[in-house]
Amino acid sequence: MDEHREGRAAPVAARVHLAHAVVQKLADDRAVDVLHLKGPAVLPGLRAEGRQSSDVDVLVRPSHLPRLVEALESVGFEQRTHFETGSVFAHAANWWHDDWGWVDVHTSWPGVGLDAEAAFDVLRRDRVWREIAHWGCPVPDRTAQRLILVLHAARSRGDGDVDRAWTAATADEQTAVRALAAELDAEVALSAGIGELELYRHHPSYRLWRHYSEGGSRLDEWRARMTAATTLRAKAGLVAAALRVNRDHLRMELGRAPTREEVRARQRLRVRRAANELVGRVRHG
Amino acid sequence: MTFTYRIADDVAWVSLEHLDVGGEPTAYLTRVPKGLPIMLEGSGCLVWLALAEGGTLEDVTSTAAAMSDADVDAIRDDVAALVDQLVAIRVVDEE
Repeated sequence: MDEHREGRAAPVAARVHLAHAVVQKLADDRAVDVLHLKGPAVLPGLRAEGRQSSDVDVLVRPSHLPRLVEALESVGFEQRTHFETGSVFAHAANWWHDDWGWVDVHTSWPGVGLDAEAAFDVLRRDRVWREIAHWGCPVPDRTAQRLILVLHAARSRGDGDVDRAWTAATADEQTAVRALAAELDAEVALSAGIGELELYRHHPSYRLWRHYSEGGSRLDEWRARMTAATTLRAKAGLVAAALRVNRDHLRMELGRAPTREEVRARQRLRVRRAANELVGRVRHG
Repeated sequence: MTFTYRIADDVAWVSLEHLDVGGEPTAYLTRVPKGLPIMLEGSGCLVWLALAEGGTLEDVTSTAAAMSDADVDAIRDDVAALVDQLVAIRVVDEE
């Protein structure tokens, strides 16, 4: 398997279209609820014309995840990253297929605070159907897509989607997005995406979203994540994650499964990096 | 007996200007969920687009000819051969 080569025939953008259809067919066959996000799933006018995606993003009903994973792997998709290591939000994992490339499976969307199963119901409630590769795929409605794009932009500095998804929206459309954000407990992340984060200065996740929207060191990020983790259990989980080597990323970096010694070496590197950041703080503080 | 042709129900396909290769019209298709990706370029893509309209072989040939400004008689045999292949790999239904 080689995730760096092109598919057997189709360019990336074409295979992304076909891969959406493949995923939807798998979901249909197993009664799996999914919503297609980003790329060709975005409704007209919400993103720049000609912008192309390099992977497929789908949001799956969390309780249906095992069925979707079984379906993906039944046709040759291989899991390359796991939920706990895929991102700091632990919201997505990646599967690779030699013909169809990457599929990112999301069980939640960063910035949404509502329980993931309940949030999926809200997003699916007003879904619309979009033809991708002449295959009917359920996608969030225009209001939900605006919110999803802004929330994504809030953690992707310099993302231009806000211009079309938010700035170009009418006052009524923005009101609808705010109402949906309130229903999904996503107001802080929305505010980070649209430049209103200071309204939430005293919210536990304020520093976290300021970090994602404005940047900062890894130490700043961890401090923000600790602040946002409001329970002892959540804080303990963060500490454990901080010291754990991300084997999925190390595997991709090396192009093969890391040896035990390589994991140990990376562990030492992580500790040294953390120490260096602390030393830098003391010197400049 | 006259057959009609149409794209099979389990086929996903895309043909968009920005996905064309080298300025040639290109269609990408597959049988979902387990098929291989197939690429049809140039006149092959035009026949595919004609098949998307559906109809008899004569209909498909006429539509493809109109899209390419070609003479129907000049392309009839080639269209028939391609449609036969597409039926054989089950991306097109013959009824």
